[in-house]
Amino acid sequence: MNRSGEEGELDREIEALLALSERSRAKLDRLHEVLTTSGHYGTGASPAVVVYQENKLRLLRLVDAAGKPHAGPPVLFVPAPVSRYFIVDLLPGRSFAGHVAAAGFDVFIADFGTPAQEDRFNDLAYYVDGLVRRCVRKVSLLTGAPRVNLVGYCLGGTLSLLYTALYPSSVERLVLLTTMVDGDVEGGVAWVAHRMGLAGESYDNPRLVPAAEVKSWFEMLAPGSNSQLGRVQDLWDRLDDPAARLRDVRTMATWVDDVVPAPGRLLAELYLQFGPGRNRLVAGTATVAGRVIDCAAVTMPVLAVSAEKDLITPPDSADAIRAIVPHAEVMRLPGGHVGIVAGRSAAALWDRTVEFLAGARG
Amino acid sequence: MADPKVETDPTIVDRWLQDQQQWQRTLLAYVDSMTKNEDFLVHLGNAMRGSLLAGKAYPAPPAPGAPAPEAPVDDRLDRVLHAVHQLQGQMQDVLMALEELRGTRTQPVPPVEASPTSTLGEPPAGPPAGPAAAAPKTRKRKVGP
Repeated sequence: MNRSGEEGELDREIEALLALSERSRAKLDRLHEVLTTSGHYGTGASPAVVVYQENKLRLLRLVDAAGKPHAGPPVLFVPAPVSRYFIVDLLPGRSFAGHVAAAGFDVFIADFGTPAQEDRFNDLAYYVDGLVRRCVRKVSLLTGAPRVNLVGYCLGGTLSLLYTALYPSSVERLVLLTTMVDGDVEGGVAWVAHRMGLAGESYDNPRLVPAAEVKSWFEMLAPGSNSQLGRVQDLWDRLDDPAARLRDVRTMATWVDDVVPAPGRLLAELYLQFGPGRNRLVAGTATVAGRVIDCAAVTMPVLAVSAEKDLITPPDSADAIRAIVPHAEVMRLPGGHVGIVAGRSAAALWDRTVEFLAGARG
Repeated sequence: MADPKVETDPTIVDRWLQDQQQWQRTLLAYVDSMTKNEDFLVHLGNAMRGSLLAGKAYPAPPAPGAPAPEAPVDDRLDRVLHAVHQLQGQMQDVLMALEELRGTRTQPVPPVEASPTSTLGEPPAGPPAGPAAAAPKTRKRKVGP
């Protein structure tokens, strides 16, 4: 190669290095922009007022721009107590609860808060016969409606189903989103623990399971997300996206990565009653506060939704609601556990839910 | 004499120098945010773990081989607090029962839903019959293999 050829090669290499440098810097500039932008992270997107408080629980009521509750039949959202409530109220324009309110419902959300050490003794009865029951009661008091629509997500769906079986006359319609019913269907957190031969949590001497440990269980279900290197690479790739999209991702991350500690006694009871090999909900032997759960009492309209790519609640497990509530409308949507509720294609679920709840208006 | 208005393409050396200056600006922006905003350090630390989690640090995984945290040896205070929370719930039931009574004195009483564990608020004086009919009470272990 002659001298001019060598120089040309060198120039091309420097050009490539400069381009790489520019791309990398642009990513870091975008990251800086996202990290320094304030948002409503860690809170719901819709304006709301706290109408009831008990221990760490807050019952939120969505209000309009003037601070007044939305008119319409009451709907109570019950998210999972092991994660943050705002998955149902994620972003302006991407809020399930906000969508339902805009469709003409008086929307309430149960925010179970973050458990402290003393809450490790909370069991299923504490949530179902305590917090959820009093939330429904409060909603009825505030709205004057004798029956309330319930929308339960994930473990919140389990709580809602158990509550409805105990107090059917207080529920107008029931929506169960990605709610595990058949514990013998392989998959989900309980199966991971089962396969790994973990001893499980102690009912009698429970601990407050640290958030990082709860998160590690979920990460085991999602290949790739349990590797720090994989997560960093994923974030680096995403930094090519526009800042607005990244802020969106950030809000979602703020939900996904903000797991709360879990009461050990609740986990122990869930595993003992509904885990692999127990499956008491399907067997008809589940109990809450000593009362047998009789799903024959669930006679109101029920909509059960599962997600095709759900790694946390296997869709077949959720669809098994047919076995215990035969009249339930079962719907399976494309997407994952979080995506169908708050992802970009969540509108399908929101619209169907509104249609279903609207049947309550007569 | 060359016309100063005519722009020539920067040489590769010029561009390299510009790139270095821009890197300095980027790094200064980071340093500036680090010194002015405490949250930024937390957020940057999260980003270095591959997360855009905001407002708090990414949950630190337990160290490899570290024993799982166990329940505290002396749990008396926590048990007392837990009992207080249960009492708080019972008080709320009483208050709600009173609210229901106030609100329904002029309304017809709906049928009562039976509940084997009912104490507080039973028979409910008005809607809702269901949730008002329950009884918070001290419970013993109900489950187990």
